[in-house]
Parts: sequence; structure tokens; C-alpha cells
Amino acid sequence: MTWLVWRQYRWQAAIAALLLAVFAAVVIATGLQMAAQWHSMLPACTRSSPCSATSASLGSQVGHDLVVLSLAVPVILGFLWGAPVVAHELETGTVNFAWAQSITKTRWLLVKAGWLLLAAAVWGGAVGALVTWWSGPRNAFYSEQFQPNYFDQQGIVPIGYAVFATALGIAAGALTRRTLVAIAVTIGGFIGVRLLISQTLRAHYMAAVTAYYNPLGYYSPPGGAWVLSTGVVDKYGHVFSGGSAPQVNGVPVTAIPASCRGLLFRDLNTLSRGQVHQAVSCMQASGFRGFTTYQPASHYWPFQGIETGIYLALAAALLAVTVLVIRHRDA
Amino acid sequence: MSWLIWRTYRAQAVATGAVLAAFAALVIITGMQMASQWHSAVVTCTASHSCGNLSSTLFLGSRTVGFLVIMTLGVPAVLGMLCGAPLVAQEVEAGTSQFAWTQSITRRRWLAVKAGWLLLAAVCVCGVVSGLVTWWSGPNNALQANAFAPGRFDIMGIVPVGYAVFAMALGIAAGALLRRTLPAVGLTLAGFIAVRFVVFGWVRPHLMSAVTTYFPLNVGFTPAGSFWQLAAGYVGADGQPITIPQSTNGQVLGTDAGGIPVSSLPAPCQALAGSGNAPFTRASEHAVLACAQAHHIRAFLTYQPAGRYWAFQGIETGIFVLLAAALLAVAFAAVTRRDA
Repeated sequence: MTWLVWRQYRWQAAIAALLLAVFAAVVIATGLQMAAQWHSMLPACTRSSPCSATSASLGSQVGHDLVVLSLAVPVILGFLWGAPVVAHELETGTVNFAWAQSITKTRWLLVKAGWLLLAAAVWGGAVGALVTWWSGPRNAFYSEQFQPNYFDQQGIVPIGYAVFATALGIAAGALTRRTLVAIAVTIGGFIGVRLLISQTLRAHYMAAVTAYYNPLGYYSPPGGAWVLSTGVVDKYGHVFSGGSAPQVNGVPVTAIPASCRGLLFRDLNTLSRGQVHQAVSCMQASGFRGFTTYQPASHYWPFQGIETGIYLALAAALLAVTVLVIRHRDA
Repeated sequence: MSWLIWRTYRAQAVATGAVLAAFAALVIITGMQMASQWHSAVVTCTASHSCGNLSSTLFLGSRTVGFLVIMTLGVPAVLGMLCGAPLVAQEVEAGTSQFAWTQSITRRRWLAVKAGWLLLAAVCVCGVVSGLVTWWSGPNNALQANAFAPGRFDIMGIVPVGYAVFAMALGIAAGALLRRTLPAVGLTLAGFIAVRFVVFGWVRPHLMSAVTTYFPLNVGFTPAGSFWQLAAGYVGADGQPITIPQSTNGQVLGTDAGGIPVSSLPAPCQALAGSGNAPFTRASEHAVLACAQAHHIRAFLTYQPAGRYWAFQGIETGIFVLLAAALLAVAFAAVTRRDA
């Protein structure tokens, strides 16, 4: 059975290996360049003028565009490898032959799906590892690995996405029985699930940390944190964050107590240090506090683990659905 | 023949229509919200004379729909894979071409009518998507002035229609040559990404020769409207760009084009800056600036002016339509020369 899978997929495996090699060559070439650039910058960085204060930009546009494209690798694996597994055999009628052999339908499916899911994990993991290595200097420079989109292309989550996309393709093919429909369902389903989880679920994997500070100040959490929201909150718990009304640090002027308004209604840059201090303590006395809600950098790997786990669990559920469908279907 | 095509594709047409309607609903609802948010922000900032820094304080629209809008970059490729690649390949694979090609109609006419209707459908779908995205992005274009920027340029105006025609033609040609659907799907995807990447990275900046403006160090320069910046830096008296080392530490003169480090200035000017990494005083900055100007050091900005936006859209669309015509010719040759 394993030998059969290899015979069926050797060409696809060879082409996929070739494409991976080309991707690796470009990523490694631009990555070495970027690492050299980063090392030449490091010695000049001091405590008084840290590297992040320089205006240099790291990396080339081509490398960056290619790395962003790696976000699509899982879905491509899903619709080119996953979708045809069952659907194409059903369409061409080769299942009639395969299912009439000494092997059970379930075993036929599990061996085929198992090898393909393993291959998807290897390819997704390889692309993810290359992108993670490439992003090293950028992560040190911009501390961006926890931000949406950057989180999604580094670490171990690409493996979860690739396995999920392939399982989605296999299940869609078994349910719709037609390759092209399965491809469309895989693309739509993958984008939908990814958007849903990254936009609504991810922020709540672990309780966020909220820091409070003076209402006219600004707080930036230590490197690599994911800031979820910032703003000013009053003593009743009303949150002010931006908006288009005239405002002081996000607080609409109409919400500021009259006693403080006199102090603030001058250009903040022209105030003396004492006046700023007075304005701050007036706002604080009225119960205003600035806040920043964020996921600290230490949550990065737990988040990677949780997200990968979610996608692996979804993949397992989809595989179970496929087994049920195949079992109850006549050849 | 047209009736046959409608019968073959009516399920796909209905599904595409449903997806398109859902997308349109989402875009129109959030677009109206965004337009009113933008309108009220402009009204308030005009009243308080603070419209200048609006782009740094205002965030327009929802992130989720923003992602969906960026993902419309993939719509032409999906059309090419799902609609173009199977057009010939699926029929050859399933053997239905043997029936179709033995009727009273010629193969050439069979392909012409089929490809014609599906190309028209792809143009309509991509035109609608691009129209919605262009309308949705209106306030953002006004706020950020980035309609010409790579990535934004590619999802608005008429270029998405050109991409769709090209992707469809690529799919049809790949299917006619390979005669198998899945390899044709893979080839369409790879070919589309590769051609888009090459045109985007190496051809587009040179479609018209860029404008370079030189300006003194002490005044900034920002072209009007949504221009596309290609390069920025400094030139010396000889007109050659000054190479700026990666480690731009120490004092930096000026802020345009990233600023020029004092260590890259001629030696007499470096002496005026004082020792080590001490920050500028107002007097020393003035002296260094005067010295740099005396040495004819100027800043430059190379860009494509905002006025060329529609010319670029037209040229890029033309390139992709021409490529599509060539691919269709290949597909016709492959279909007419091949035995059923």
C-alpha cells in the first residue's frame, strides 16, 4: 500500500521538492544578506542610541514578498494534494478497482491520507522553518514575531495549517466526490477558518495583561508583545480610544472635567514640566487612567502551541468525517 | 452552443453569484460605515485645522474586511484554476471531447465559443470585485494617498480585469497542452504567480521613465497626491549618489530620505559637527548644514507622479491582455492539431 502511494505521488513529490529547493535558495540568499546587514549594524548600537532608533530598513523587497507568499503554501498543499485524494479516484472510477482488493476501504484511506498528511507537515514545516530563520534579524530589530500575519508564517503554526488544509481537502473531496468542487471548498473553507481564528479567537487563548499609567502618557510593553488595545478609561469604566471628536490623548474634550480643561487647553508642547504634571494629576484625581492591554512576549510559544493544537484537532475531526463517509459509501 | 455552455456551467454560475453577493454585501456595509467615519473625521478636523496629521491618528474600516480586500489579489488565480484549467483538460480527461468534437461544429468554433463566454464571465466577476474594492478603498486612498503603492495598485482600477483574462487564458492553454486537469491547475497557479511577480518587481517600475527631483537639505519635498516612491537618497557635487553605510549611528542631518549621517559628509563638515556622538546644538547643526550645502550636497527623490496612475493601469492591463492573446493562440493550435 505504501509502495502504491509512492508510485502514485512520486512525480508530485519530485516537483514539490524542486519548488521547495528554489524557495529555499532565494530565502537563504536574501537571508544571508540580511543577516550580514544586521551584523554590520550591531556594533554601532549602544544603550544611548539603540538599533531600533536607526532609520535603516532590513531585508530586500523580493525576499519580503516571497515570505508573505508563504502564507498561501498550506492552502496550495491542501487543494493540490488533499482535494484529489478521494475525489479524483472517485471521478475516474479507479476506486472500483482499489476498493475491490484485499485491503479494507478504511485502511486504504488511512495509509494514503497518513502519508499525505505527513508530507504536508514536512513541507509546511520546512517552509515555516526557512521563514523563521530568515525573519531572525527582523524579529530582533522590529520585535514583530507576535503581530498578526508574522505570527502566522513562523514557528510551528505553518505545520498545523498545512495538516489542516490537507485534511480539509481530503474531507471535501470525499463529501463532494468531485475534484474541482473540492478544490473550491478547500480554498474557501481554509480562508474562512483562518480568518475566524486569527481575528476573533487568537486574542483570547490566554488572559491578556493590562497595564495602567497616567492618562497623558504612553506605555510600550517590553519587546515582542502583541498590543491588543490602548486608550484611556475613566472611573466609571468608560473606554476612550481615538475617534474623530476633538480629543486630548484619545479622551474627547467633552468628557474631560471642567477643572482640568483649563490646564489642557493649550498646546501640550508649550506647557512647562510643572504644568504637565499638574494636568496629569488633575486628570488622575478625576479618575482617568491610560491603559494598554497586551499579550506579553512570553506568551508567544504557548500561543504557537495552542494554535497548532487547534488546527491539528480540526484536522483529526475532518479525517474522522472522511472515514465515516468512505465507510458508508458504495464504490 | 451557447445554450450548451449555459447548461454545463449553470451550477458554477449560481455558486459564483452567491459568493460574489456575500462579498458585495460585506464590502458595501463596511464601506458605507467607513465613508461616514471618514466624512465626520474630515468635518471635525477641518473645523479644528488639524487635517494634516489625520493619517497618523485615524484608522479606517475593519481589519477582517481589510484582509478580505487584500485577498482579492488571489481572485484571478482562482478563476484561472477552477474555470480556465478544466475548460479543455476536463473534457479530454472525461472523454466528453470525443463526443463534442465529432459534432457538426468545428473544434475551433467549439473552443472559441466556450473560451469566449468564460472569459467574458471572468471579466465580469473580476470587474465587479475590483469595482467594489476600488469604491471601498476610496476613503483609505484619500487618507493614506497610497493607491499607487505596490499591492494596492494590484487590486484596484482595471488591472484585476487584465489579470483575470491572463489567468483564464493561461489555464485554458495549460489544460489544452497537458490534457490533464490537476497538472493544469498546478501549472496555472505557478505560472500566474511567477508572471505577476516578474511584472510587479522588474517591469512595472520602468513602464514610464521615473521623475527624479533634487532639493536642498533643509527643505522637505513631497510630491502631490498618491505618488509611487522608487528611491530616495543624497547626491554630492559630482551628481553621484552618496553611499550611506548600514550602521547609521551618530548624528544624522535632515530627516528626508532617512537623513544623512555626518560620517558620510566631507571631512571639513564632520569637523564642524563636534566630537563623537554628542548631539547637535542648534548652532552646530546650522554650521554643518551650511557646510554640506556649500559642498553641493542635495537630497533626491525618484518617483512616479500620481498623474500617471491611469496610464500605468492601462499599460499593465494591456501587457496582460496581450499575454492572454498569445496563450489563447497556443491553446487553439493545441486543440486543432490534436486527435480527439
